[in-house]
Amino acid sequence: MKCEWVQQNIMLHVYDELADDARYELDQHVARCEACAAELAAAQQFRQTMATVTVVEPSPNLLTSSRMRLQEALETTQQGGFWTRLTFDPGIWLRQIRFSPALAAVLLLVGFGGGTAVTFRVTRGVDPIPGPSGVSSGIVPDLAAANVTGIRSITPDPGTNRVNIKYDTVKTEETAGLLSDVRIQQLLLFAAQNNTNSGVRVDSVDLLKQRMNDSRVREALVYALRYDNNPGVRLKALEGLGSYVKDDVRVRDAVLETLTNDANPGLRTEALRVLEPVRADASVRATLERLAAKDSNKFIRDQSRAQLAQLPELD
Amino acid sequence: MAGESLNRIDDTVLVREAQRGDRAAFEDLVRRYDQAVLRLAMRLTGSEHEAQDIYQEAFLKAYRNVGSFRFECSFYTWIYRIVTNLCLDHLRRKQVRKEDAGVVVNADGEEFSVIDQTADDRPNANPERDLLRRELGSQIGRALEKLTPRERMVFELKHYHGLKLRTVGEMLNTTEETAKNTLFRATQKLRGALSGVRGDARGDLRGGDAARRGQAS
Repeated sequence: MKCEWVQQNIMLHVYDELADDARYELDQHVARCEACAAELAAAQQFRQTMATVTVVEPSPNLLTSSRMRLQEALETTQQGGFWTRLTFDPGIWLRQIRFSPALAAVLLLVGFGGGTAVTFRVTRGVDPIPGPSGVSSGIVPDLAAANVTGIRSITPDPGTNRVNIKYDTVKTEETAGLLSDVRIQQLLLFAAQNNTNSGVRVDSVDLLKQRMNDSRVREALVYALRYDNNPGVRLKALEGLGSYVKDDVRVRDAVLETLTNDANPGLRTEALRVLEPVRADASVRATLERLAAKDSNKFIRDQSRAQLAQLPELD
Repeated sequence: MAGESLNRIDDTVLVREAQRGDRAAFEDLVRRYDQAVLRLAMRLTGSEHEAQDIYQEAFLKAYRNVGSFRFECSFYTWIYRIVTNLCLDHLRRKQVRKEDAGVVVNADGEEFSVIDQTADDRPNANPERDLLRRELGSQIGRALEKLTPRERMVFELKHYHGLKLRTVGEMLNTTEETAKNTLFRATQKLRGALSGVRGDARGDLRGGDAARRGQAS
């Protein structure tokens, strides 16, 4: 280990930010290098000097008055959701344009370019032409460019691992391909998150379960488990995510949330089963203890107690 | 560890309720973090009044945007990210104005030193040592003022708020490695700026500490 490396990392050592192996090596080096030992002493002295200034805690009066002021302001503040932020507000846009000629020019160019591109597409007829039966051979343009507005139906072919997807643009179209096909995956992900038909969402989540090693798929299923209002879709998502509770902390958190909050007792029971392999994990254990003590559902209470009983006692 | 996980889950529940428009749930979230937010804002602005403004702006911003919170990080990181951004803006403006260092203006408009606020209730406290301590405190204040806003933020979050650099990186939308480099630069600058500090000031304070340890044993 070189002195240069030690001197660059000595402050991280003092602030307890070095990995264990690096810390060990640094300690070993300092024990036999006088110059680095002096540097370490100086760095520790620096930290001690800076600690002369302590952090002033806000006074209770200040905290109370801040809270009261915030409460008053919250009375008159509206929450803005994701869509609200994207809502077109002509006033704001006009102000922006008035003060920013560059932005106005960019908007004009984008509008002009967009219009030209659309006209070009319409006149050239870029969209794939369906075959004689109205089924294209898996060539779906990029979803955004294809203006997909919804998925009408998903039909898996059990023998061949192929999937038939009927989707709407301005008119309903159909495509077919293997699950490994990126475009098929895009359509399935789209269906899992955006479709109004819950049957289609169930079908898409069910198929996506076969591609769980893809992080986008896991993300879509976590989203479905958290936010889908159909218990069937949530159950399919939970089935798919089950094998990842060990390795993916976001999956574990989502399943814990389902166990704690889902309105459907069946789903909560399934979540309890899915979490069995990780019941010794601190977050799972703590949730089980809470549920065993005060959950309103007797079955969940009993099951949580049963799972806790199988865990070793903590000192 | 279990407590942290539980907190994370409870936060998630509260955030989801707040997203459904439950103001009481949002106020619960505020009460969990507002003391830390106010403390950080006070350290960085040096003014109770401005800290209160940052507190107000941060939580209103969080309330307006909680609907678009996608659970990609913890609520704690998210609210700190909002606060640190507001504080960075403040520090940048302040750097232009070059205001007084280490002087806090309270809500009544009275000025006092940040260092003076820390009551010296140690058993062997004496006026001479107190004076040295105040002198050292103002030198530290001036040294901190010389850092760039980002260096100051990383140093404050690490040294005075005890956060891990990984968390600091997340809050500042950067990597842990960048946070480490920034901390290194900040400490180098501070050590340089404080190299001329009178040894007796530090020595006396250390002596006091040693004496205190002696008394305790």
